[in-house]
Amino acid sequence: MNSAVNVATENIVVERDLTKTKDTAMETKRLPGDLAMWFFILAELTVFAIFFIGFAVAEQLNTEMFTQGKAKLHQISGLINTLTLITSSYFVALALHKMHQGFGNQSARLLLVAKLIACVYIGVKIWEYLSLFEQGIDIETNTFFTLYFMITFFHLMHVLLGMVILAFIALKTAKNEYSVSNISGFESGASYWHMVDMLWIILFPLIYII
Amino acid sequence: MNITDTNKKNTLSWLWLLALTVISTYVNLFLSFFNMQKSLFISIVLFIVFLKGQQIIDVFMELKQAPKLWRRLLMAYVILLPIIIGLIYLV
Repeated sequence: MNSAVNVATENIVVERDLTKTKDTAMETKRLPGDLAMWFFILAELTVFAIFFIGFAVAEQLNTEMFTQGKAKLHQISGLINTLTLITSSYFVALALHKMHQGFGNQSARLLLVAKLIACVYIGVKIWEYLSLFEQGIDIETNTFFTLYFMITFFHLMHVLLGMVILAFIALKTAKNEYSVSNISGFESGASYWHMVDMLWIILFPLIYII
Repeated sequence: MNITDTNKKNTLSWLWLLALTVISTYVNLFLSFFNMQKSLFISIVLFIVFLKGQQIIDVFMELKQAPKLWRRLLMAYVILLPIIIGLIYLV
């Protein structure tokens, strides 16, 4: 009788442990942010993939024009913009972890730093456009510059939208509207910003380097 | 994973991304010094795109701890897109 009770108790303990392990696995396999944001991110990535493939095909059809066009671009400004977006993304990742720890004010400050660094990107991009306009180059110059202005301006719009989202989550963080258990909106905004960074990481070598 | 580990991982990833960006920008100068082919240069740059994308997906986006489907979808993007672009340039 006693041994039967012992076996039953052991079985219950094993089942509890299994449930705990399953719960832990469920916790660790959580998608950060809202599901809707991830579908939106996939849609954005698809649109940019079409642009990138279109640019590569157009380059193969107009090799000389694209080589001359790329020579007129300021590669260092592209490099600075890549470094700024990566650094801005890094500060957003740090801000999210501060929020996970429950340090809302520190998190809001890190988001502000991320936004300020993103402002450098905006400044450099505007300078780059203006210097091309001064050389008499615009969207109608040739196929290369049509695609260059279209793709980079479309990306710039995403950076601006990302900055609005960062400002929104920074404000909510400063007002203590997020908590360790209610952080989905913050994670969604952060994921969007990382997507903007990831797109530039493909755009930069494609348009400026290769 | 504790917070200190996560911060350390973010910082290492950030430094790695900065280094890869500088390498991909100036790899052409290095290769032209040794008279290497343009196809090798394009392959290296596109491989760096994959490495950088993987860092952003796994570390910054924290998809390494997410359901496998979502990580695979985004990883497919940074694997397939450089391959397609590479094929367009090299074939």
